[in-house]
Amino acid sequence: MNLNVKAKKNNSYDAIVVGTGISGGWAAKELTENGLNTLVLERGRNVRHVEDYPTMLKKPWEISHNDRVTPEVAEHYQKQMRTGYTIRQTTKHWWVRDTDQPYEEVKRFDWIRGYHVGGRSLMWGRHSYRLSPMDFEANAKEGIAVDWPVRYDDLAPWYSHVEKFAGISGEALGLPQLPDSEFLPPWDLNCLEDHLKDSMAEKFNRVLTIGRVANLSRAHNGRGSCLNRNLCMRGCPYGAYFSSNASTLPAAEATGNMTLRPHSIVDSVIYDEELGKATGVRVIDAETMETHEFYANIIFLNASCMNTTLIMLNSRSDRFPNGLGNDSGELGHNVMDHHFRVGANGEYDGFEDRYYWGRRPTGFYIPRFRNLNGNDRPYLRGFGYQGGASRQGWQRGVRELAIGKPLKEFIQTPGKWTMGMTAFGEMLPDHSNRVYLDHDKRDKWGQPTLVFDVEFKENEFKMREDMKNDAAEMLEAAGMKNVTTFDDPGGPGLGIHEMGTARMGRDPKTSVLNKWNQVHSCKNVFVTDGACMTSAACQNPSLTYMAFTARAANYAAEELKKGNL
Amino acid sequence: MERIDRKEAIKRTALLMGGVVFAPSILGVLKGCTPSTDRWQPSLFNAKQAALVTALSETIIPAGETPGATDAGVPGFIESMVKDIYTEEQRDLFLEGLASFNEVCEDETGKSFDRLTSEEMFEFASIKNVEAIESEPLEGPQFFLLFKELTMVGFFTSEPGATQVLRYEDIPGIYQACIPFEDVGRTWAT
Repeated sequence: MNLNVKAKKNNSYDAIVVGTGISGGWAAKELTENGLNTLVLERGRNVRHVEDYPTMLKKPWEISHNDRVTPEVAEHYQKQMRTGYTIRQTTKHWWVRDTDQPYEEVKRFDWIRGYHVGGRSLMWGRHSYRLSPMDFEANAKEGIAVDWPVRYDDLAPWYSHVEKFAGISGEALGLPQLPDSEFLPPWDLNCLEDHLKDSMAEKFNRVLTIGRVANLSRAHNGRGSCLNRNLCMRGCPYGAYFSSNASTLPAAEATGNMTLRPHSIVDSVIYDEELGKATGVRVIDAETMETHEFYANIIFLNASCMNTTLIMLNSRSDRFPNGLGNDSGELGHNVMDHHFRVGANGEYDGFEDRYYWGRRPTGFYIPRFRNLNGNDRPYLRGFGYQGGASRQGWQRGVRELAIGKPLKEFIQTPGKWTMGMTAFGEMLPDHSNRVYLDHDKRDKWGQPTLVFDVEFKENEFKMREDMKNDAAEMLEAAGMKNVTTFDDPGGPGLGIHEMGTARMGRDPKTSVLNKWNQVHSCKNVFVTDGACMTSAACQNPSLTYMAFTARAANYAAEELKKGNL
Repeated sequence: MERIDRKEAIKRTALLMGGVVFAPSILGVLKGCTPSTDRWQPSLFNAKQAALVTALSETIIPAGETPGATDAGVPGFIESMVKDIYTEEQRDLFLEGLASFNEVCEDETGKSFDRLTSEEMFEFASIKNVEAIESEPLEGPQFFLLFKELTMVGFFTSEPGATQVLRYEDIPGIYQACIPFEDVGRTWAT
């Protein structure tokens, strides 16, 4: 046996999954549970559930400097810090150092990332909503971009499949624009949220419900119930929220079919011109800088929207000179996120004898209510709100006219009830919103860097008027005082819902992926992370990535068994 | 800006406090709680700055039936923020602010702030607090409020502040959305 053949044999698998975040974890689970010997590649370090959550149990007084980082540390996280909440002593180990992971901005784009096993499934906001039939039909109906090649009914059983495993708490409402999930019991709304809910129903015929989140309101599938610490982003000792680390990767590992390889940066997909399909991936070992090749019959790209796109653009061959599967020229285009950070806040006089116990890991959600029956607004699509009510804490004492003992006493009683909400609006796909590679500027592993040229456009800005004013109107109608609005979109990307750069479609001339998330022109490569999205809807997208991934992985396993891949 | 009469300031404060009277008996609690820097070895602040930071933070959150700023290690916390987290520019502004706070104190009382009695500290700082709140909208960030915020952050994230003055539950267990305030008893620390 010559060495090359031996190397190939040792490095061969049934399937390769690139990435271990929300979608990669699901690909690993479904493929291994279908009996496929699967190599799971992660560019960052390993993170073992619980063992590698260094700050999960820290009490406030066990954290120095009010959890802030020094200017010397902050220097390395200038872009990751744009959220305002990511770079803390207790969480900074989950985010990339911008000085190690550069990208370029023709226009501001906030690319907020975590490179480690589990990816952003460890730090995500956990809000989980199904897209609706309306969302999958909108592009076709309105002539925007291209039509989705699937409809809600194609995905519905797979939503159920992933929800039953992940555990989604929430309240069933039977709304056409926000289909119900397979729910665990919901968290409760507090007094003021309940009051707003009643007021909205009475005065606007609009719905408010508890946020549907991947937090366990009771023990589920071997994971513990949430104990209302609301420190999710540090990693949960009970596994009480869904992450790859707590949920899908252990399931994949339990099959005995998974090989997990951290520190493995995928350079490109290897395309065989004669076979007309992909045969594996080229990997740079992030620690040793050595290059390896791994081979498999099917490849799942779940590196997150932008990095999946980077890998595909960087996978150039005679057949695909502009990147793997890029016959349409759409690869890297149609970047979407959600636009948010617009809404209103207010105060309420009342419920002064009421309070709450525990730190709920969710807030309220107001499902979309605009443009539901035809378009009667000066923009397309719509938005939902996330918000919450609470009583003012000790912080209000800073600007009180008291110091000393009176201040101490004053602060022991909570202040007024306050409430705020921010809208999350749909961003339309637009060919001119794109990312592309700069082959001249390379990172320290020799990889080309991404250049972002993305902006919010007219439809988003028109929508923001309603997003702001509707919030204020609903708060005022519920008797809120001192209602103030805010509108500060920041850069696209700040929603950390980047998507759309390898969209699904019916026509290979105008899309990258088919209805099974296969690359049209390279059928054994599947893309099921945010890159696959044909439109964004206004719901938080992770649940949809999970459902697409489970559906595609089971299809891939069947096709492989039939000898079709 | 018109100088606010001290007595007037205290009266206004009392009104806002829902009529709390600043009786000598209450102020008396402050006595015997002389700030101590035993456990804290300043590494940025000089002795004078350390004494001022200790005196002012203890004046803002004094020990009484429950621990105060010094007990909670607030002076050391403030120094760590100024030394490690602030930029050089912010650090300079803080130290200048502290010095000019004390200069005003010397001008108005004839004594350095840390040499005043507890009652005098309380009276002087109360006026500066009111002045700062009233000046801020027009003049921008005020040293006194910055210092007050640092003191409060340090205190209410400390174990004594969070657990003895406020209410803290490390693992709440259940969530109850709408319960009588008495069932909790004090403001939540987190």
